[in-house]
Amino acid sequence: MERKKNILDMFVEGARKGWNIGITSIVPNVIMAFCLIQLMEVTGVLGLFANVFKPVMAVFGLPGEALMVNLAAIMSMGGAIGVTVSLIDKGMLTPTHVTILLPAIFIGGGWVQYLGRILGTAGVPTRFWPWLVGVCLVNAMVVMLIMRVIA
Amino acid sequence: MSEIKGDAEQQKTLKVTWVSYAALLFAIIFFSGLFAAQKGAISALDFNTVAGKFGVIKEFGKNFMGSTGTGARAGFLFALSLIPVTMLAMGVVEIIDQLGGLRAAQKLLTPLLRPLMGLPGAAGLALITSMQSSDAGAGLTRGLKDADIINEKERIIFAQFQLSGGGLITNYLSSGAVLFAFLTVPSIIPLALIFAFKIIGANITRVYINKVEKDL
Repeated sequence: MERKKNILDMFVEGARKGWNIGITSIVPNVIMAFCLIQLMEVTGVLGLFANVFKPVMAVFGLPGEALMVNLAAIMSMGGAIGVTVSLIDKGMLTPTHVTILLPAIFIGGGWVQYLGRILGTAGVPTRFWPWLVGVCLVNAMVVMLIMRVIA
Repeated sequence: MSEIKGDAEQQKTLKVTWVSYAALLFAIIFFSGLFAAQKGAISALDFNTVAGKFGVIKEFGKNFMGSTGTGARAGFLFALSLIPVTMLAMGVVEIIDQLGGLRAAQKLLTPLLRPLMGLPGAAGLALITSMQSSDAGAGLTRGLKDADIINEKERIIFAQFQLSGGGLITNYLSSGAVLFAFLTVPSIIPLALIFAFKIIGANITRVYINKVEKDL
């Protein structure tokens, strides 16, 4: 009979999964984000971008740079976390900003991949895809407004 | 999908004991951040307390990342500093999962599926699975439709639930956990809000489908 797994074995098994996620997802995503933000900063694109979107993001109690997080989230949640971390490191996002952004990253995020991986796999007819994505994006904005009050 | 089982059979495989409920309760408390401000032994119930912190390099009062790094090199050190949190979170999630905590959550949620989203209780397994793995959840959803357990409208409503905040538990506790230390509110508040809006989103689509797509 196979030895019954104890709690410590279970933890180690999960921690190993966490290590793999860390090495294969978090490290590459954070490096991508740090390089992207660094590139945008030295070229002055980030400052320009931040100024252009300042009024829009102010509605959510966020600086213009925060829109980079939302845009990254569309492609991947891991990427958005990476961008958040790099903007924290640059002192452009405060804990309050992070608190406003976190739930929105998940609610409105990752759908570029999920179109195929969720809607395609589940067999949802493509004509409904724009509606389903629209609901995610509107909800993300509503959640940022709610978090603005709570954070 | 062969993984889809009938309602009765599914209930039989759901061995949920008090350990499962205790594990689920522990997980909710541990990841909630509600005990973050506590001192002494009770602070052991808080994720960030157990995650701890890096020591500082005394002369400069900074940790190993230093202070003026930029680009890929700074990113690498920062990313390394995030990995322990992910390992801790995934380690605890694995314990909860193997003790049946997620099956307990499934059992608690199953009778609520009809009132909350108009979905049959048989969708419970796919729902909990989708919170751990978006791909596996979507596969099970396809199977439910192919087996005529849910209809086309229910599939679209269910897909809306899954699309918003896909793979929530895994993503929130692996990637999201790295931001817990920066939050100004207990980490359960954003999580609860995300979960609430997954259900709200599904209901917005439910209303839309029922109004606009009557013939579906």
